[in-house]
Amino acid sequence: MSVIVHTEGLVKRYASTVAVAGLDLSVEAGEIFGIVGPNGAGKSTTLKILATLLQPSSGVAEIAGWSVTRNPDQVRHVLGFMPDVFGVYDDMKVWEYLDFFGRCYGLSAAARRRTIADLLELVDLADRRDDYVQTLSRGMEQRLCLAHALVHDPQVLLLDEPASGLDPRARVELRELLRELRSLGKTILISSHILPELEELCTGVAIIDRGQVLAQGRVSDIERRLRFGAVLRVRVLAVGEDLEAARVRFAADPDVASAEILDDDTIELGFRGDDASSARLLAQAVRDGVPVVTFARAASDLEELFLQVTAPDRVSVDVT
Amino acid sequence: MRGRRAFAILTIYLLLLAGFAWMVQLMMARSYSTGFGTSATYATAAIGQGIFVALIMLETLLVVFLSPMATVGSISLEREKQTLEMLTATPITSFSIVLGKLLSALVYIWLLIAASIPLTAVVFVFGGVAPEDLARSYLVLIATALGLGSFGLCCSSLVKRTQAATALAIFGVLAVSLGSLFLIVFWQSVGETENDRQAGRRGSTPEILTYLNPFVAQADIAPVDALCVFDSSLSEYCRFRSRFVSDGIGIFNGGKGDTIGGPAPAFNTGGGAVVPVEVPIAQAAPLGAIADVMAFGAATDSIWQKTVTSWLILSVVFLLISSQFVSPTRRLHIRRRRTRKPSPEVA
Repeated sequence: MSVIVHTEGLVKRYASTVAVAGLDLSVEAGEIFGIVGPNGAGKSTTLKILATLLQPSSGVAEIAGWSVTRNPDQVRHVLGFMPDVFGVYDDMKVWEYLDFFGRCYGLSAAARRRTIADLLELVDLADRRDDYVQTLSRGMEQRLCLAHALVHDPQVLLLDEPASGLDPRARVELRELLRELRSLGKTILISSHILPELEELCTGVAIIDRGQVLAQGRVSDIERRLRFGAVLRVRVLAVGEDLEAARVRFAADPDVASAEILDDDTIELGFRGDDASSARLLAQAVRDGVPVVTFARAASDLEELFLQVTAPDRVSVDVT
Repeated sequence: MRGRRAFAILTIYLLLLAGFAWMVQLMMARSYSTGFGTSATYATAAIGQGIFVALIMLETLLVVFLSPMATVGSISLEREKQTLEMLTATPITSFSIVLGKLLSALVYIWLLIAASIPLTAVVFVFGGVAPEDLARSYLVLIATALGLGSFGLCCSSLVKRTQAATALAIFGVLAVSLGSLFLIVFWQSVGETENDRQAGRRGSTPEILTYLNPFVAQADIAPVDALCVFDSSLSEYCRFRSRFVSDGIGIFNGGKGDTIGGPAPAFNTGGGAVVPVEVPIAQAAPLGAIADVMAFGAATDSIWQKTVTSWLILSVVFLLISSQFVSPTRRLHIRRRRTRKPSPEVA
């Protein structure tokens, strides 16, 4: 796999603040890469620099080998960008909106007609082709904006908080859409402060805080590296002494650091083992006759990682 | 521009303009029907000129305010509505963006201007106005629309918010239309020498002060000096013209200011300089002489070309400035045009 998005020592300084402080990132072709971080971590700034919309103060940023500062035109041709907040032009029909951007990329009339039909099909707006853009719902606008970023068939897609403001159904649809795009060979960079939405989707993530990468790699790699400290919640069909007996049984396991009774029927375990040992723990408990109803990790892994690697005073997690 | 609204506005605009022309015609006809001792031919020609002047001045006023207002939100509104980033992330050049913005806004202004041509052509029924006068006036209108339109665009790209851009644009429009007039008045009074005083004329004013003012340019084109001698219904316009066009401006001074009867008609010597000539029209001039003066080649006719040229040049300047400020990464684009092959280790 070749590296398609690459930054090195990327710095963006504003008058009084440093938004990006020496960011090193490298994303391979064909990945869905998540950039995670709390609000104000420098995610949007980084994506805007990559999209040639901001001039970095120093450092290198390249897309498909083109420097975003020296060859912005080439970068714009291989790149599709969807900003976190965006508007749509009023008094424009859906197909005209895409046609307009097609023209911006210099597509021929025939190519535009074909592409628009395909894209509307892809983002599921084919039946809204002749509707005015301002009549679309938020989720539809989001999909239209995504379609606009695909008009010129870019290799790399930069999506800044694409799921913000979407209802759960629209979110699922968006996730499906991104998977489909990946299967079409696109590299997708996606930023979010909502972690669960990235976890299922991304092949790699970078956790960013205060303008720096704190951890980068495959989700599973980072997970493994930071495995201990996971929290398991076990619901058992027992009350009173039986519940206490179950707690003691779990606490006796060498991988369990702590075991506390949460509610009437739930035990929370501080767990430091990996997936294999958690499977073993469950099998053991069932064998011992503990009536386990549910057995699950308390929070999303990525979210945990996030909380672990970002500084506690800066964390603001939008749990949805 | 889309749908019926644009055409409803166009219709209302034309109705108002027609109503205005009709009112001017009534006014002038009344002043001539109260027994003015001249021929009917002269009277209709005078009415024709009066309507022409009134319509052109009104249209100039509309263009001066509408064209910057049409463009003043074009970039800042995109910033406010968060659409500019998506646009600047595409490979189209900043200059294309601002040029497209300008032309799309001006097309409607130009449509308003063009739609008024048939109405203004009504003056040909009355006579007294030559087709080339109409053509010149409309050229000034079109150039002013272009210049002030690009000025509005420039304000829009320099300032983040539309509100501030609008304030800036209004300030600019006022500076061009009223400020320049005040500067001329100032200059005329401060620059007055002892010689001027004795000769009863105002101080000489650099002609360049009048270049950007489209009202002066229109007054320069629409020559009603002969009319001013006889007719009182256009006295305000005659005073304006006397003060800012034919008198005290340019290398040569002339005229008696706004003494009764207005200034003497000036003749274009062909060299661009204004040489007012004392023609004793007021003293029972033969009708032929009046007709000569009213034949419009004999206008001062030296400022409007400079107005058109100045606005054309300025519009290019404004467009270039605007294109620099559309996006922070797109400044001094020429310097970054060098292309580099993708580095082999990455690609």
